[in-house]
Amino acid sequence: MSLSWNEFPFIALPAALCWLAAGLLACCRARSPRSVYLADALALIGIALFSAFIAAFWHALARPPLRTMGETRLWYALFLFLAGYVTYRRWNYPWLLLLSAVVATAFIAINLLKPEIHSIALKPALQSFLFIPHVIIYIIAYALFGIATLGACALLIRRRSGFDHQLLIFIDNLVHIGFGFLTLGLLLGAVWAKEAWGHYWSWDPKETLAFMTGAAYLVYIHLRSQGREDNIVIWILPAAFLLLLLSWFGTALFPGSSLHLYF
Amino acid sequence: MTRKLWQSPWGAPEAALFVAAIILVGFLLQLAVGSFDFALLHYPANLVALAVLAGLTALGVRMRNSLLVRWLAGIPLAVTLIVALLLFGLCMELMPQLPRLSAQTPDLSARLGLRTLTSSWPFALLYGMTLIALGITACKRLLRFSRRNIIFLCNHLGLWLLLVSAGFGAADMLRVVMHVDTGKTEWRVFNEASAALEMPIAITLNKFTMEEYPPNLTIIDRQTGADLKNTQGFFQIDPKRPAGRIGEWAITLDDYLHTAVRVRGEYSASPMPESTPAAKITARNLHTGAIRTGWVSSGGNVPEFFSVLPLDDAHLLTMAQPEPKRYASDVTIIPKDGVPIDTTLEVNKPVAVGHWMIYQYGYEAALGKLSNWSEMELVYDPWLLPAQIGMGFMAVGALLLAWNGANMGQRRSAR
Repeated sequence: MSLSWNEFPFIALPAALCWLAAGLLACCRARSPRSVYLADALALIGIALFSAFIAAFWHALARPPLRTMGETRLWYALFLFLAGYVTYRRWNYPWLLLLSAVVATAFIAINLLKPEIHSIALKPALQSFLFIPHVIIYIIAYALFGIATLGACALLIRRRSGFDHQLLIFIDNLVHIGFGFLTLGLLLGAVWAKEAWGHYWSWDPKETLAFMTGAAYLVYIHLRSQGREDNIVIWILPAAFLLLLLSWFGTALFPGSSLHLYF
Repeated sequence: MTRKLWQSPWGAPEAALFVAAIILVGFLLQLAVGSFDFALLHYPANLVALAVLAGLTALGVRMRNSLLVRWLAGIPLAVTLIVALLLFGLCMELMPQLPRLSAQTPDLSARLGLRTLTSSWPFALLYGMTLIALGITACKRLLRFSRRNIIFLCNHLGLWLLLVSAGFGAADMLRVVMHVDTGKTEWRVFNEASAALEMPIAITLNKFTMEEYPPNLTIIDRQTGADLKNTQGFFQIDPKRPAGRIGEWAITLDDYLHTAVRVRGEYSASPMPESTPAAKITARNLHTGAIRTGWVSSGGNVPEFFSVLPLDDAHLLTMAQPEPKRYASDVTIIPKDGVPIDTTLEVNKPVAVGHWMIYQYGYEAALGKLSNWSEMELVYDPWLLPAQIGMGFMAVGALLLAWNGANMGQRRSAR
């Protein structure tokens, strides 16, 4: 038997429950060492389950599951939680684990409620060894920026009750790391475009939006390097993330044909 | 005491006004003389322009302690330029871009260059200003080289090199499409006016080949002819997964022939070039239990090979045209002064001959694998190497940024 979307709920729902439980346990006020261990175990079990589904699904499709929107959401859910878990361990922000679990679950829910047409065929232009790193590296960047945006919102909301410098430094780290990944994804895309159709950049709608997204994060990075920490600078992050979301989902909303349309 | 506008040292308000003035001058130039012609930067003019740019940058570096140059290489101007380019991106996103303007009197947006933004004067001036600011900033850091500057230098110098090669090299780049019939040799390409242009490379097309994916089955409304794929779904033929469902019909794949011909109503496997995919299907209605069995085929290019399976009074089961999995041209490339190369051109696998790259481009879509011609795109790009070096620097900078993100933050907090 080979795996398909029909089996997705039976693996994704337990994984999502593990993640949510881990997030709740981590946020629990009366934390004992045992509950911390349990949170770790649940988070890792969920990650293992979800990764196993992707691996088996990849095997069943005989191609990487990166072609449709539904398939890219699989990776986003996994990497968002993974990034959330790693940063929770590194910086000890329990709320981050819970938030990334909730957002990852939302992506799983979209896939459960709105299954899209799936096909095994991969166009010749997409058959490149650069395809997988190009998309996965972008998705890691998206996940990091997603968490940075959540952090920025927390910062803006809690500003009146005092400014959390530790959180701002943490957000800066995420944005710098995310921008590194964003640049790598863009460069891999450019190299691939040169191989596939002779030009590394052609200003198609998705590329233009990707440029705008990168530019917005670049503005943030430059202003922060001056030491600015006013609300205007923090507000750049939700705005940049909006551009990121548009470049991810919204290319079809704009005029002009794109080489990047999902189908 | 607060600083007045244009009183030294300059900051963000001056940067905003300066960039706004550049853009305004750009629009006025655009209205007066039309688009900026990047083709004017054709070799050797681009080397002269590059020398001017290098001279300005060197002058800036020499005067690096002056307040003006500090401002030019400073963050307020950099941020303003990035924001301006971001807004130009937004404009490009909202206004469909045209390859070039038609001769008829265009509307105001077109006359302002908004429909051909990347060759408009404001864009070209912003590009030049960015290169100057970026160049001075990078060179200043280069003079104070230290290990802590490596990430900064990789990112800024890499971007500068990439932007220079992309803009200054654009005019030297040549892209043409060569149409070659099977068994023929071609060395000419034709421009829009059907004038022949001789290439330094000739190509013989020995053979065009195509492999196809197993196709999809969909249900068609017999009255309207509409494909119900979007509401009922489709069945992807895959011998490993012979059972599936479309709408209220359970589909079973009894037999599948990837290359078949039809003789007296029966399909049999055949390697003939005209062969078509054919599937023997059993469809069972999940509500009524009705069972339909028969062959379905898209027919390829032979109408006699086509066949559908009637399901009920209103619906037919049909096979979509197969999608290409791989197509390739078996060619001999003959450079004007070199030895012929026998090779296969395929999507994502171009072949380099000197400064030329040769790509598989197109084929007769209506004939698919029977296409008796193939098109190759020939791209001449002598500025590819510096662009690749720039991208290499940026990649190293990006990797270091991803690795060091946390450290940079800590350093800042310590300050």
